[in-house]
Amino acid sequence: MRAQFVFQEIWIGLRRNLTMTIALVVVVAISLSLLGTGLLFIKQVDSTRTYWQGKVEVSIYLCTSESVSVQCKQNGASTAAQRQQIQQTLSSNSAVASVTYESQAQAYQRFKQEFSNSPSFVSTVQQGDIPDSFQVKLKNPQADYGSVAASVTSKPGVDSVIDDRSILDKFYKLLDGARNAVVIIALVLLIAATLLVANTIRLSAFNRRRETGIMRLVGASNFYIQLPFLLEGVIAGLIGWAIAAGLLIAVKALWLDNLQQYFTFNVGLSAGDLIEVVVLAMCVGVVLCGATSFLTLRRYLRI
Amino acid sequence: MINFDNVSKIYPSQSRPALENVSIGVEKGEFVFLVGPSGSGKSTFLRLVLKEERPTDGRIRVAGRDLARLSNWRVPMLRRRIGCVFQDFRLLPNKNVYQNVAFALEVIGKPRRFIRKVVPEVIDLVGLEGKHDRMPDELSGGEQQRVAMARAFVNRPMILLADEPTGNIDPATSIGIMKVLDRINRTGTTVVMATHDAAIVDSMRKRVIELEYGKVVRDQSRGVYGQAY
Ligand SMILES: Nc1ncnc2c1ncn2[C@@H]1O[C@H](COP(=O)(O)OP(=O)(O)OP(=O)(O)O)[C@@H](O)[C@H]1O
Ligand SMILES: [Mg+2]
Repeated sequence: MRAQFVFQEIWIGLRRNLTMTIALVVVVAISLSLLGTGLLFIKQVDSTRTYWQGKVEVSIYLCTSESVSVQCKQNGASTAAQRQQIQQTLSSNSAVASVTYESQAQAYQRFKQEFSNSPSFVSTVQQGDIPDSFQVKLKNPQADYGSVAASVTSKPGVDSVIDDRSILDKFYKLLDGARNAVVIIALVLLIAATLLVANTIRLSAFNRRRETGIMRLVGASNFYIQLPFLLEGVIAGLIGWAIAAGLLIAVKALWLDNLQQYFTFNVGLSAGDLIEVVVLAMCVGVVLCGATSFLTLRRYLRI
Repeated sequence: MINFDNVSKIYPSQSRPALENVSIGVEKGEFVFLVGPSGSGKSTFLRLVLKEERPTDGRIRVAGRDLARLSNWRVPMLRRRIGCVFQDFRLLPNKNVYQNVAFALEVIGKPRRFIRKVVPEVIDLVGLEGKHDRMPDELSGGEQQRVAMARAFVNRPMILLADEPTGNIDPATSIGIMKVLDRINRTGTTVVMATHDAAIVDSMRKRVIELEYGKVVRDQSRGVYGQAY
């Protein structure tokens, strides 16, 4: 195998249909970067979801002197006896995993901590503005939320019952939708890329039918005849991938990492995640271009 | 060297056979003319030897090998032992004489040192010394055919197949081409040449096999072209 000869042939092939090659590189680059973005997005959503999964609770807010709801206005702030009563009801319920009481002071501390990034926002809220609450973890949130909520909603001293899940679900539906859209567009573009690879290789094979005809005649092995074409597709794919890798690194650095500032907890993706996605994109690119070239050659290069 | 045993070839979509019950044996070192009217099956015969086509029926042996039993991936090995020239030369227009000949060795992975040694020898053998750097469009038809012969012979094949090599060349130049083929034949290479050129066949006095409608109608050693077509 003479490497120099093979690379010379590849170079000739890539140059001969330069416009097709450029189109191919661009489409591969775009489709791979969209695919990669979709994958990064999935990882991002997963990492926030995992974070929240452990935190999802039912919050039962209690009446304070500041509460504005009708029942609180009527009965005033919750009393120790009422809280006792509520706690009793909750902990005797077999669907409940744990109950913790969070006082107004604790709630304020937690609030200050979670929004430490935005002190101006914190300064508008004072201790006492945030009601005290019971944070209830359920053994099976999906099934038991309804019954647990019903058992305490109308108890004196209860202001409102809020299922954290219902808020998160909306948020995640939005994210999932965006992710699906990105992945679907990426797949459509990958199909377009496949067709382009097939067409480029077909054109290339047609352009060089003289050479390949002679190669066949003088007894060049099929591998030797096909290799330049195969590598042509793979190299175009690799260039497209390299561009996509650059774009993905930019997406992570400029966009996903900026998301961090809206979250107090760590949702940033690690370099490992990025490398994983970039390597996966390379595999998709190389396999797609290589396999398509190979299958196209079997049809258009008669052996 | 080449052995056809009751070989028939019917192309798909064709009802009339291109070759019908052909039995021919060509010995090592022979020079054979294949003659016959257009469409009589000469090119089909040569393509069968190269395993570019498969016979519909019968058995073909080339250099002792049964082609039907030769697996696809070994066909290139067979073709390395067979040189080919055609009426239309089939040179690469963007390569010069030397590169065109060297191409045949490069693509079968021969080392560069070997190529640098044998290519000039073969170019001399076909009478193109001093024209290494010429491009095909700077050569006459006869010279182009010499390049094609150099390329076919550079790997020292056991068999040289020539399909109307003088078809595009005037009679005077054809004599030079035939001299080269004769020179190649004298090195021990078996030569099979399909042709319509009566003058050449008559002057060489070699074995003549005549085909008509795919059948062998004459096989004559030291023969002549026969009646005019
Ligand atoms: N690839 C093909 N597909 C179908 N039919 C073919 C094919 N090649 C040749 N034929 C038919 O087979 C018959 C023999 O053709 P072949 O080319 O062997 O003739 P030939 O003797 O070489 O003719 P010529 O002197 O014109 O070159 C012809 O009738 C031709 O039409
Ligand atoms: Mg013919």
